Amino acid sequence: MAMKIRTIGRHGREGFKNLFRNGWMTFAAISAVAVTLLILGASLVLSVNIQSMSLNIENQLQFNAYVSDRVPNKELPKLAHELRSIHGVRTVTFISKAEGLKRMKQILQSNSDLINGLGNPLPNEFVLQVNNPHQIPQIANEVKHVRGIEKVQYGASVVPKLLSVMTIVRDTAIIFIAGLIVMGMFLISNTVKITIFTRRREIEIMKLVGATDGFIRGPFFVEGTLMGIFGALIPSVLLYEGYRWIRHQVALFPPFSLLPTPYVMDRVVLVLLACGLFIGVWGSLVSMRKFLRV
Amino acid sequence: MIEMQDVWKEYENGVTALSGVSVRIPQGSFVYVVGPSGAGKSTFIKLMYRQERPTKGHIFVGGFNIERLRESQIPIMRRHVGVVFQDYKLLQQLTVAENIAFALEVIEASRRTIQKRVQEVLELVGLEDKRNMLPRELSGGEQQRVAIARALVNKPKVVVADEPTGNLDPDNSWAILKLLERVNDRGTTIVMATHNRELVNACKKRVIAIENGRISRDEERGDYGYED
Repeated sequence: MAMKIRTIGRHGREGFKNLFRNGWMTFAAISAVAVTLLILGASLVLSVNIQSMSLNIENQLQFNAYVSDRVPNKELPKLAHELRSIHGVRTVTFISKAEGLKRMKQILQSNSDLINGLGNPLPNEFVLQVNNPHQIPQIANEVKHVRGIEKVQYGASVVPKLLSVMTIVRDTAIIFIAGLIVMGMFLISNTVKITIFTRRREIEIMKLVGATDGFIRGPFFVEGTLMGIFGALIPSVLLYEGYRWIRHQVALFPPFSLLPTPYVMDRVVLVLLACGLFIGVWGSLVSMRKFLRV
Repeated sequence: MIEMQDVWKEYENGVTALSGVSVRIPQGSFVYVVGPSGAGKSTFIKLMYRQERPTKGHIFVGGFNIERLRESQIPIMRRHVGVVFQDYKLLQQLTVAENIAFALEVIEASRRTIQKRVQEVLELVGLEDKRNMLPRELSGGEQQRVAIARALVNKPKVVVADEPTGNLDPDNSWAILKLLERVNDRGTTIVMATHNRELVNACKKRVIAIENGRISRDEERGDYGYED
């Protein structure tokens, strides 16, 4: 039987009124959902940014190998060839002592006198690019054992480390969030249950005069769904504004930058709304299933 | 028309409320159901609007086969059976007119129909001038008239009343009975469970007495017959 528009309006009004009938329970349920989705949203924002960082920073694909000063210059091409032949190495670029010093001065700019008078403390170095960033530690180890290589440095490996830390953080967050989502559903279903309880007389009369179960459920369904949506809107607004602010702050330190606000937040907000809706709908359905057998 | 064929009802706690009740109540009749408390009277009434299911036997009410009714059909059946209770069961926050309209709103009747029907039943029970009052501003008798108006607003074929005068003084009880008689005159079947000996003896109808889960007596124009 098709539901009339007027009936939908009625369910909407009644469901909305229900929110205020047990104000504190509604508040608790909405807060629980909001906190849950705030954490979910924040970790989404974080992981999206870290992922893009790891994709974008080319550095992670390369590392430096410093040549021992004992190796004469004429041996260097042979050494380069040896490095190139290591499995997984894509390119090998040579940076001489002199070139290294020039770059260093460039970086230090006005402070370059700091190293004037030190002579040239820099070694010859090779920059190795690899095919797979995850192989860096293993390849670097191999390179270290090549004769003539004094030291390897893969500072860029911060990213893989960050990635592995992130995986742990993510797995913990998933468990945490799953628990919170269950709690949010539980609170919503309890709030709806209390509404049903306080209105059981009305429900009894509705049943006696021949209202269908669907009709009786309408307002409670609306109530639960609204709680879910409100619970999603609050963290959405907070995260959106918060992200915009943090991004602005980060932009003051040039090498770092976060992804554009709309690009990240439009998706995150959609995810949060979908989750809120799901929690609300599920919570109200669960509470009604048992309770409406009058 | 109401018909029961060898109806048994045993509750989950093991209490047998009805053991083999068969009865036929033709359309348009007015029947008193009497008997001591706990004898099965309430169960007998509740089976008619499918508040309870029989353990065994067949029940037909206004063309519905009650014991075979699917869950989804229960609401449809209830629109054809008006129910009146001892405690009126009105919604305190709604006015008289709203309480009556409620029964039509929840079955999604059109606004026009609701207005028209509410006006009609208010006239029938004589409460047009109190349509905007709240239940607590009315006397018990008036509240019961509102409840009857609500039961009638769907134009049911059958009205089942469970001790409708149980909370009322003799004058109001009499007024309620007269109202139910008027409803009956229009062709609606009335089944009224009651403890009110004066009414039963003064206004002779068919009397069905239930004792120990069985019909112990069934007389046209019977007496109340108990000394309680």
